Amino acid sequence: MRKRFLAQIILTAVVAAFGLTGCKNKTGGSSSTTQPGADKGVNPLVGDGGVTSSDGSRPVGFTGEPVKGQFGIVYFDYDSARIRPSEDSKLQAVAAYLKSNPGKLVVEGYCDERGTAEFNRALGERRALAAREELVKQGADGSRITTISYGSDRPADMGHDEAAWSKNRRCEFGIVNQ
Amino acid sequence: MDQSLWKWPICLLAAVLIGSGAFGADVDVQKGRHSFGVSGFGGDASIAGQVTDVLKNDLRLSGYFSLAPADSAEYVQSGTVRGDRSGVVVECVVIQRATKNVVLSKSYQGSGQDLRRVVHKLTDDIVKTLMGQSGIAETKIAFVWAHGGSKELAVMDYDGYNVKQLTYDRSISVRPKWSPDGRKIVYTSYKNLFPDVLEVDLYTGQRRRLAAYPGLNTGAAFSPDGLSIALTLSKGGNPELYTMNAQGGDLRQLTHSRGGESSPTWSPDGRNIAYVSDESGAPQIWMTPKDGGAASRLTVSPSYNTEPDWSRPPANSDMKPMLALTSRVGGKFQIGVYDRGTGAVTPVVADGADNEDPSWAPDGRHLIFGKTQHWRTQLYLLDVVTGEQVQLPAIEGGASEPAWGP
Repeated sequence: MRKRFLAQIILTAVVAAFGLTGCKNKTGGSSSTTQPGADKGVNPLVGDGGVTSSDGSRPVGFTGEPVKGQFGIVYFDYDSARIRPSEDSKLQAVAAYLKSNPGKLVVEGYCDERGTAEFNRALGERRALAAREELVKQGADGSRITTISYGSDRPADMGHDEAAWSKNRRCEFGIVNQ
Repeated sequence: MDQSLWKWPICLLAAVLIGSGAFGADVDVQKGRHSFGVSGFGGDASIAGQVTDVLKNDLRLSGYFSLAPADSAEYVQSGTVRGDRSGVVVECVVIQRATKNVVLSKSYQGSGQDLRRVVHKLTDDIVKTLMGQSGIAETKIAFVWAHGGSKELAVMDYDGYNVKQLTYDRSISVRPKWSPDGRKIVYTSYKNLFPDVLEVDLYTGQRRRLAAYPGLNTGAAFSPDGLSIALTLSKGGNPELYTMNAQGGDLRQLTHSRGGESSPTWSPDGRNIAYVSDESGAPQIWMTPKDGGAASRLTVSPSYNTEPDWSRPPANSDMKPMLALTSRVGGKFQIGVYDRGTGAVTPVVADGADNEDPSWAPDGRHLIFGKTQHWRTQLYLLDVVTGEQVQLPAIEGGASEPAWGP
C-alpha cells in the first residue's frame, strides 16, 4: 500500500511539475495506481469436474449405449422433418420389432452441415419426433421411445456435397435395455 | 486553481476544432477514428516490446483509434515498464498533442503472468478517459473447440489469447452463454448421452444439471437480471420455448406452435424474448413477452434468419440495443443487424464466406462470429461502426458458437 501511495505522489508531482492539468470535464488528467483484481477467470475442469447428478438426464429406463444397425436409416429432404413415403417401410419394420420384442428405442435425429447450429439441433429433434410419431401411429408404445438430436454433429458422411448431405439428413435407431 | 481555470477556453476551443473537423488530419474521418501514436515503453526491454504490441493491438481492436506516427497523431502515448520477480509495473502517460494536455497518467501493477491483463486494463482506461465509453479489452469469450470428433468448451481473452479449455468430457459441449455477472456459463452437454442444459461455475469449477427433460434441452440464455433462463425443450412433443428460474425450477412454457422454436435471446429490459421459429416456413425471428402472450414476427426478409443476439450496451453508450442475426442469402450465411424501427435487416458481414453465430460484446459495438472457409470455422471480431473485421489467432481444430462475456 505504501509503495502504491508513493507512486501516486510521485506521479502527481511529475504531472504538477509540468503544469499540465488537462481538461477536467472531458479527459480528467487523472493520476492513480491500478492493480487488476485477482483473476477469477476460469478453473479448468478436469475429468468428471464435479457433475452433481450421476444419471439424472436419462429418461426413466433408458440406460446403456444404444445398439444400432439392425434397422434401416430414414432419410429426409433438406430443411424438412416430413417423413417421405419412401421411408414408410423402414418405420413399419421398427414398429413391428417394438411390438414383438422387449427393450426401448432411441431415435437419433441428424442434419447436414448446412444450416446454423442451434436451428439444426431443433430440426434434428423434429426429425426424431416425426419418426417417433409415425411409430406410435403404427402401434408402437410411445413410452418406450425417446429421442436425441445431434443437429449437424456426427455426420454419417464427411463429404461436402449433396451426395454426403443426403446421407446426413437422417434418423438412426438404437435399442437399449434389451 | 487559477492555472486550471485559464485552460478551460483552450479545452473548449480544442473540442470545437475537433468537432468541426479542423483537426481532420488527425481523425480518420471515414471511420470516425482518432489517430493515436504509441511511442512505446522505456525501462525493461525484455517486456517493453510485448507491452507495446499488446497496447497497439488493443487500441486497434477498440475501434476508436487508428495508429499513427507520434509526431502527427492526435494523442501520443509514452511510458515505462519495470519487471522483477514480484511482478511488473507499467506507467503510461497519454498527451493530447495539439494542447499538450496530459489526458491520462496512470500506473499499473500485476504479476508477471498478468502482463496482458495489465495492458488490457490500461486500454480500457484510455477508452474510458478519452472517449467516455466502456472498453472491451478486459472481457472474455467462451467458445466451442472442435477436438477430433468431440466438442469441448473453452474460454479466452477477447483478443484470442490466453485460451483455457473448460471441459474435458470427450463428448459434445455446445452453445455456451454467460451469466450477467460473468461467473457462470450455461451450455448444452451430451455428456450423459442426451442433450441436457448444464451450468458451470467458473470460480469453483462445479457443474450442475439445470434441465434434463426427455428429448431436447438446449439454447439456455440468462435474463439480464440473471434470475431467469430461457431455453428450448421438446418434452411436449415439439421444440418449444420455456423459461425457468436460475436453479432450473418454476418451468413455464412460452410458445405453442407447429414449428420449431429455438435460440432465445432477451431484450435489454428483460421483458421480451426474441427467438427463431419456422412456423411460417423458413426460419425467421419472432418475439414474445417473457410472461407469455401473443408472439409477433419481427423479420420478413431475407427468407432465412436465425441466431438472434440482442445487444445490451451500457447506459452511457453511443450505441443503441440491436439484434444481430445470421441470414442465408444465395446459399451463404451472412451476419446482419435488425432495425426494429424499419423492420429491415442490414448485412454487416457479407463477404462470400459462411458467417454465423454473432455474439455482442458488452459495449454493443463489437461482435464476435464464426467464419467458415474450406469447411473450417475460425473466430472473427467485427466493429459494426467501422465495419472492420479482424481474425483472432487461429484455434487448432476449429472454433465455433462464440459467446462474448459481460
